[in-house]
Amino acid sequence: MAKIFSRYGDGTPLELDEKELMEELHAGTEDAADRAKVSTLTDDDLKHLYEILASPYKFVSVEPGKEVLLTYDAGTLKIRRVGVNVDRIQALQIYEKIMGADTMELCHVDYSYKPLKPIVTMEQPILEQALLSTHIPLFYGAMPNLGLYSQPDGPFPNPAELLPNGKIKEARESLEQTVEEAVRDIVFAGSAMYESGADGINLDSVGAAGDADFLASLMATKKLKEKYPDICIEIGMAGEFILGMHGELEFEGTRLAGLYAHDQVRLAAQAGATIFGPVVNTNTTETSAWNLARAITFMKACGEVAEIPIHPNMGMGVGAVPVNDHPPIDSVSRASAAMTSLVRLDGL
Amino acid sequence: MISPEIIEEAKQMLVDQNKAKVEEITKKVIADGGDPLELMNQAYIPGINKVGDLFGRGELFLPELMQAADVMKIATDLVNDALATGSNVAAKKAGRVVIATVKGDVHDIGKCIVVSLMKANGFEVYDLGRDIDVDTIIQKADEVNADVIGTSALLTTTMKEQKVLEEALKSAGMRDRFLTMVGGAPVTPRWAARIGADAYAEDAQDGVNKVKELIAQK
Repeated sequence: MAKIFSRYGDGTPLELDEKELMEELHAGTEDAADRAKVSTLTDDDLKHLYEILASPYKFVSVEPGKEVLLTYDAGTLKIRRVGVNVDRIQALQIYEKIMGADTMELCHVDYSYKPLKPIVTMEQPILEQALLSTHIPLFYGAMPNLGLYSQPDGPFPNPAELLPNGKIKEARESLEQTVEEAVRDIVFAGSAMYESGADGINLDSVGAAGDADFLASLMATKKLKEKYPDICIEIGMAGEFILGMHGELEFEGTRLAGLYAHDQVRLAAQAGATIFGPVVNTNTTETSAWNLARAITFMKACGEVAEIPIHPNMGMGVGAVPVNDHPPIDSVSRASAAMTSLVRLDGL
Repeated sequence: MISPEIIEEAKQMLVDQNKAKVEEITKKVIADGGDPLELMNQAYIPGINKVGDLFGRGELFLPELMQAADVMKIATDLVNDALATGSNVAAKKAGRVVIATVKGDVHDIGKCIVVSLMKANGFEVYDLGRDIDVDTIIQKADEVNADVIGTSALLTTTMKEQKVLEEALKSAGMRDRFLTMVGGAPVTPRWAARIGADAYAEDAQDGVNKVKELIAQK
């Protein structure tokens, strides 16, 4: 039986035969469906996925006319991270004029709303210059990063120290206090950058610090939307479900811990977000086929209920893209093509 | 043999994070002459695995996970104490193992289970704890003349310390003195091969089996 080139979730190459590839696809979609309580992919979906993964070509794409927007977060950081020594405005120009980005984000190296607060007046003129030097819609973005509000980085007791000592009530109280501070900072910095002309405000890696992080993002989004009804806000997630650091936090009656993308997007829209960026984590010990079928199952369910545009995250370690410093183009292109052709989405 | 009802109750009490009940069951089983290792293997390891699975699915949250870990620690300590004094200790030690969770990583539930099973299988185990730098690991391995160095990492950001250990052993000219084994959630057999570790352990029992194989081949 012919062998098909594939990879593991860490990028390591492997070969599968046709039967093994199909078994991986079935196992991946079943895992996602079981976890998120959503439907598995249809036989037609799996056949399409199989064809993409079994393609003999190194790079796989979609048919002309089925292209989608490509939007990038933190590009002004990532290009320097790989050793291209340019300033942030030059980085934006490279993404726009050379790499074909449809939207971009200006951000600061600290990439969190809290440290942005004291330097916001330094960021405003950079944004204004960037807007004058580019044509594509330009977001300003950072992470809510609630970890910065607890000790030693912030004023409140550290939940990660309280919880192992059995101080659950105290940990929860601390998390609730961090939400209030984070909302204040996000609204302050988001307002300043929006009033400086940003085409949108991006809240990135939302939920990285758990359910309190997601709650702060939803509350800040709601406040910004009330303040500026025309503002564009993108909420991009950190992981596939909301980690219950607190466990009992709610947004307008919905418990946040444990929510998967198809529930997250409803709340994002309810809070006033304009674009939602769902995430599915890549499992390094499973195959690309397993990861991709799984990611598409979660994303398909999200796209089906979404009332706002969704841009699934397709970066290193998410969206079935391998966890690797330089994700291989065969995996990235297959994952992107599959996501674009099988999920009701608006961009990647 | 411990009755299936007791095994099931012990497992469920761990999942329910019932510290008092787990302590009571464990002490009673040991006092009645039951095999503490059987209790660990049949009740507590499946129980903590279930807790981990529920957490991984977003059906159980961090406060509950921490409480379950706390209960597991009590169960592990009681079982380890019983094993240390009971007939399970082999007359001749099967080998010396230095084990640690790597620098920057504070996760050690899985590593503690590995320690339990290794002790139960007659290994002389030096558990250095968590967040341990490479120099400390090598120093201890040298001091006790270890057969195997086992390291655990739960994060992609800390697993690189396992590579640092391999390189440090080579730099110190000590690589051939010790066998190395790696484990932890993001660690794979491919990672072990890539960094030059001698073995990868999928879970606690696999870790015991691999150490036995390594020492037999030494």
